[in-house]
Amino acid sequence: MNFPLILKDELNGFYKSWVMIFLWIGLPLLAIFIHISIPNQAGLGSLSILTALILTSIASLLSSTMLAANIINEKDTHVYPLFLIRPIKRWQLIISKFLAVYICVSIALIISIMLGITIDYIETPNLFEFILESVIDPFIMVFAIMLISSAFGTLIGVLSPSIVVGVVLVIFLGQYVSYIPTAISFLLNIGDPLVMVLVTSIITASVLLGIAILVFSKKQF
Amino acid sequence: MTQNNDIVTFQNISKRYGPFVALNNVSFSIKKGEIFGYVGPNGAGKTTTIKILVGLLRKTGGNLFINGYKMPEQKELAHRFIGYTPQQIGLQKWKNIRQMLTTFGILSGYDKRLIDRRIDELLTIFNLIKFKNTKISKLSGGMIQKLGIIQALFHKPPILILDEPLSGLDPESRFQTKNLLKQLSKNGTTIFFSSHILSDVQDIATKICILNWGQVLKIGTLEEFKNEFTKEKQIEIILSKRSEKLYEINNISGILNIIEKSAENIIVNIEKTKNSDEIIHNIIKTLLINDCKIRSISPVNPSIDEVYQFYLRRGGGYQ
Repeated sequence: MNFPLILKDELNGFYKSWVMIFLWIGLPLLAIFIHISIPNQAGLGSLSILTALILTSIASLLSSTMLAANIINEKDTHVYPLFLIRPIKRWQLIISKFLAVYICVSIALIISIMLGITIDYIETPNLFEFILESVIDPFIMVFAIMLISSAFGTLIGVLSPSIVVGVVLVIFLGQYVSYIPTAISFLLNIGDPLVMVLVTSIITASVLLGIAILVFSKKQF
Repeated sequence: MTQNNDIVTFQNISKRYGPFVALNNVSFSIKKGEIFGYVGPNGAGKTTTIKILVGLLRKTGGNLFINGYKMPEQKELAHRFIGYTPQQIGLQKWKNIRQMLTTFGILSGYDKRLIDRRIDELLTIFNLIKFKNTKISKLSGGMIQKLGIIQALFHKPPILILDEPLSGLDPESRFQTKNLLKQLSKNGTTIFFSSHILSDVQDIATKICILNWGQVLKIGTLEEFKNEFTKEKQIEIILSKRSEKLYEINNISGILNIIEKSAENIIVNIEKTKNSDEIIHNIIKTLLINDCKIRSISPVNPSIDEVYQFYLRRGGGYQ
């Protein structure tokens, strides 16, 4: 079983990378900053929701960019041949990288959002139950969007010939791709919108990753 | 299937990139324990051959067997027997040497309990033990090159495929690596290596293949190359005293001609079929009788560079 080893390796690499250090520190700081700088007015509901959405857009952009840049860089620096001449499946390399980034960025997001909820609780302890209830939906949305943007970053990483092209594609197309499930859910208007978003997110991410694996499997190094 | 005890069988392999033919019906076989030196100019197709051998590139035509396994169909089985050093060694820079070798060791199926010991053993051989916990990003090009060789040797594979393994190494490391490869070959490891450095090929290869423009020009042992290259044998004579009767040696049976490089330095071409010991004996006798004083007399062997240039000039392959 080589997959757990490769995944552990990738997690080790990502959690202490410069981008992740920025996210570990930057996202919680941003969450605090939003809570301090925006007054929590009654009509706005919980600031945690706003914080979650702002942080997600930043984190999803960074995770997809990080994934694309990392894969392109490893292709350019000939990292893959030494893995591919060992008894290992190509999909394992791609999925381990995707999961490593998804897990790391998700944890950073959870920490930041939890920090926001804590601040909300300190400021308005009587509204805590309402805050918790209202934050669940955006919380699920956050991870659905993250799932797609990370899968999109992986696909661009596999397809793109250069880091510049890859980053440009991720920045300009990534946000549109990330909101595909939300748009589908809104347009179809079937059942629980949140469940629809989740299902379409998982399907879209699986398709994107499937294409990435297929292209990577055909690649000659 | 493979023939007799061939470990590597490369049969009529072709590789095309659109209209460009990188390899054109290249064939060779390597037996257990052989050190196969693969030489040729830039763009000859050496790296393409190696990438097809290890299953990183798909061939356009032909058959390839590694240790009896058909490539690329059975490459996951074949990979267990291969150690590979690419020309451009790419390592994940955030890892340190120990982490990198542990990952590759486990992926290659090396016993986890013995990995630390193996890391120490190999790093000691290559003088890298004090850098065991140093990040890859902090290492020099030469150290990376050594790591490229170490990771290939790690799981003690019976087949080593090395693309320019000695380039970038300092003279001492090159000497040590060559000795190590010779030792591994004696113990039964089959080694395929490409090189631009002909003296390295001469030092360790038991069989040499010259490739140009995607075609094999010649395969053979160094002796076979030299024998075919030399139409006649040469003897170099250096005199400390010369006499007018020097050219008496022209009358010795088996001598074709004499070339004067300088007044004291003479090259004598003798027939390939004749016994050179007998002729040298007669030359010495004739020179001494004719009042010449001999400083040295020795057979001249063509260098590997001369042999290589000869085959490249003679041509072959398409252009």
